[in-house]
Amino acid sequence: MNSKSKRFIKEFFRYLIIIFAAFWMVLPFFWMVSASLMTPQEITSIPPKWIPEKPQWHNYIDVLERVPIGKYYLNSLLVAGTATLGVILTSSLAGYAFAKLNFPGKKPVFQFILVTMMFPVFIFLIPNFFLMKTFGMLTNHLSLIVPFLVSGYGIFLLRQFIMSIPDELLDSARIDGASEFKIYMSIILPNIKPGLSALAITTFIGQWNNFLWPMIISSFSPNLMTVPVGIQRLSLAFASAETQHLVLAGLVYQVVPMLIVFVYFQKNFIKGFVVSGFGNV
Amino acid sequence: MSKVGRKRARAGYGFISPSLIFYSIFFIFPVVFSLIASFKRWNGLIPLFSAAWVGLENYKWLFGSDLFVSSVINTVVYSVVTVVVGIFISLILAVLINGSKLSGFWRLLFFLPTVTPAVAIGTIWGYLYRANNGLINQILGWFGIKPIRWLTDPKTALLSIMITAIWAGIGMQILIITASLQNIPQDYYDAAKIDGAGSFRIFWSITLPLLRPILLFLTATGMIGAWQVFDLPYIMGTNAPAKSIMTVSWYVYETAFQSLRMGRASAGAFILFCIIFVANILVLRAFKKGGIEGYE
Amino acid sequence: MKRCILTILLVALLVSSMAFAKTKLTFAVHWSDYQVEGIKDKEGNVVTKGLRQYVEEYMASNPDIEIEIQMVPFGEYLTRILVGRLAGAASDIYVLYSLWGVQLVESGVLDKVPKEVATAIKNDFVEAAVGGATINGEIRGIPTEVANYALVYNKKILKAGGYDEPPKTWDELIDMASKLTIKKEDGTVQQYGYVYDTSSNSGTVHPYLARLYSLGGQLFSNDNKKCLLDSKEAIQALDAEIEIFRRGGTDSAATHGDFQNGRAAMVILAPWWESSLKIAFGDQYEETIGVAPIPPMKDPKSVSYTWFVGVDALSKNKKEAWKFLEWFCIEPLPNGATRMGEFLANNIGAIPSRKADLDAFPDKLNDLYTSVYVQELANTVPEPNVAQGEEIKNIIWREIIEARHQRKTPEKALSDAKRQIDEILSEFY
Repeated sequence: MNSKSKRFIKEFFRYLIIIFAAFWMVLPFFWMVSASLMTPQEITSIPPKWIPEKPQWHNYIDVLERVPIGKYYLNSLLVAGTATLGVILTSSLAGYAFAKLNFPGKKPVFQFILVTMMFPVFIFLIPNFFLMKTFGMLTNHLSLIVPFLVSGYGIFLLRQFIMSIPDELLDSARIDGASEFKIYMSIILPNIKPGLSALAITTFIGQWNNFLWPMIISSFSPNLMTVPVGIQRLSLAFASAETQHLVLAGLVYQVVPMLIVFVYFQKNFIKGFVVSGFGNV
Repeated sequence: MSKVGRKRARAGYGFISPSLIFYSIFFIFPVVFSLIASFKRWNGLIPLFSAAWVGLENYKWLFGSDLFVSSVINTVVYSVVTVVVGIFISLILAVLINGSKLSGFWRLLFFLPTVTPAVAIGTIWGYLYRANNGLINQILGWFGIKPIRWLTDPKTALLSIMITAIWAGIGMQILIITASLQNIPQDYYDAAKIDGAGSFRIFWSITLPLLRPILLFLTATGMIGAWQVFDLPYIMGTNAPAKSIMTVSWYVYETAFQSLRMGRASAGAFILFCIIFVANILVLRAFKKGGIEGYE
Repeated sequence: MKRCILTILLVALLVSSMAFAKTKLTFAVHWSDYQVEGIKDKEGNVVTKGLRQYVEEYMASNPDIEIEIQMVPFGEYLTRILVGRLAGAASDIYVLYSLWGVQLVESGVLDKVPKEVATAIKNDFVEAAVGGATINGEIRGIPTEVANYALVYNKKILKAGGYDEPPKTWDELIDMASKLTIKKEDGTVQQYGYVYDTSSNSGTVHPYLARLYSLGGQLFSNDNKKCLLDSKEAIQALDAEIEIFRRGGTDSAATHGDFQNGRAAMVILAPWWESSLKIAFGDQYEETIGVAPIPPMKDPKSVSYTWFVGVDALSKNKKEAWKFLEWFCIEPLPNGATRMGEFLANNIGAIPSRKADLDAFPDKLNDLYTSVYVQELANTVPEPNVAQGEEIKNIIWREIIEARHQRKTPEKALSDAKRQIDEILSEFY
């Protein structure tokens, strides 16, 4: 076999595998959108339907009529946005300290932060709710934001990014008399933009999709309802079949803004991630 | 310590202080609270301080419970399989995509599940897995494969959920692996090619060793997440025999909020923490043996 | 002069603050969507009242009261009660599933029912519902809906299989189920003879209890000290379900969904499925759906679970809360029914448990679907109220699933359940 045909076979298998995998990646999304345009009967028909006979666009209008989704968007945006800013700030500061500054107790404190990530989230539910009530935050957006302002994963991730910045860069700034905060602002932050955007996107998505905590909070303060909690209102406690098409349309309402945000930022994000020094751990 | 050193140390403390203040309120308090609860017989409805102290009884009870022990085993299987197989698939796809046309488009495609909430993923895959009218069985039927009761058959229930979890997780892993792949200097490959190494050999002896630090990062963070898995099995697995599918987080949640045994649930949460802790030390050890530094 | 102005100001302030000092009641419900907001037509006018409209009506006639509806998904309702109380942010009024009652009462969560309300409950409500709201011998809330079970069948499928009538005995049901199941060559089930409701543990446990009661069996001894799942009746009641599996009348992938798309002949359901079935079958509904009592194994018996509304013992406004509940659930309208009855019958599609309410909505409660359930109330035994009810129910549910997958024999599954349940009972009784 000559090298050209060998190369062709290699490329053939490369794309075969990629396309096979891509098909399975897309299938659930395809079905979600398709099913959200079906009647309840079509969703459960045998054999399964791939596309609705007649797209039921009014499913989307029905959702809007039943729940004030615009208000939920605003709440979600405010909560996820603020929490993301907070996480970026606290993670980059701590990440810098752990990556580049020496101080007594650094190692155990960092290990402690790794350990915090290992606790099941349920144990925080009741005590943190108690704290929110004590701090008087229960009736405002702070109750949805404050418990998420610091992320162990964020500190861990940004520390990895900051470690790949050469020490010489920092030292030369220090010789010029720059304070550590100045270095943080003018050297660290600009050099870890891909890391920041990676963390921003994952945090924002995580907060946007957060369910249990906002559900508990907003059952006390209905004005704090976020998108996932609001979508949940469409599904009835028992007769779930009645509204499953609306719930599917609701899920599309929840997922689509994230997809748009992601597709819009992905060039920066993926490319930035790729060219960053993240690989050189 | 020198004057400069002291200044830097002060800055270090200053920079970590927001996080530490946060943790001392929103982490220490809940953990201490739950630790106390784990030694009590407490239903969550009466004040914690008036609940009876039972010592280690909650822990003992859990280790004697078939369902809890099965849930630990399921969680171990789930974590190891989803993380190891997930990283393996991501590695292959990352390498294949890296040399392909439209690489950005593929990466974007594989990343889509990452922005999708677990509730949506569980709901959609629940429909796809249906035995008599799910798309997956229909597709398999075209190839002559008999219908599988994915989510109700105890043999396939956990497997189905692991497939979904891997599906949901590979996008981020591909991205991170690609980042490291592109940081491997081209000279390494050129040199290997001159020595006449084939592409598999190059992958094995150059790419893989250089990727080890990033694989450690993915294994460590992936496992921490996988150990706590709750949403997917809880949404998709309720009609399979529980012993074949229940995970520790699910068990803890049900014990706490349906059976109203907060003390026992807290004990379960601490056992889970210990498992995660030990598993992470083992992972770090294994990588250390392979010459990779941990995260001390 | 100055002092005078100051006094006037102070008085004005006091008066205005009194005017604004409304008593606020919070009402936590597991209802959602149109059940709370009302069913609206295209123009947004309310066609069928939801909880919100009733609450607004009450607030309009009682301007000093403000009622806030708090919506919580059913699955998180207990979590919500717990979290709220621990943090000192408990709701004033709850809608409660009877099975939770014992724990709530024994932990001091529920206020006592005012005397005159308790008397009204004893006189006006059906027995199964009074039983559901009675915890440790005392009424703890006003019963709302009562949900029992009946056999729902697909007339067309039965007819096509040569049956004009639904099964009269459980043995007949087993026979018909296996004959009505159609498998395709590839192994896909084209049509099930019998399916079961997989949407919650109730869909499995409650029909089992109905068979157990039909055989004259009991779940617990009278003093609640022993679980009786090792009895002959208990094993026979489960074996009767597993027999359908053995004879190929259903399998472990069957769900109520198969019934809804017309691919299953029979299923045992609660009354609130009516609206789902109407949507699923559209204009074919009347000619397709039939309802019959659960085919008895021995005596005709059904099982019910109930709900009641109660007031939190920590509430600062218990008197106002009970006053509102009396208005909502006890005080009759001109047609003799209560507002709660109207809400349950017209909006939720549930069976109210007040006797007069049962007669007041013939178009809702005497139709082809619900009438059978209402008639069956006479044969209905409430699910027992016992400590750790939900935990016990989960144990029974899981063991029945083991038996369905034939991983355990019915005897083994039930004796495993008994062992675990006895341990729980010994903690509390």
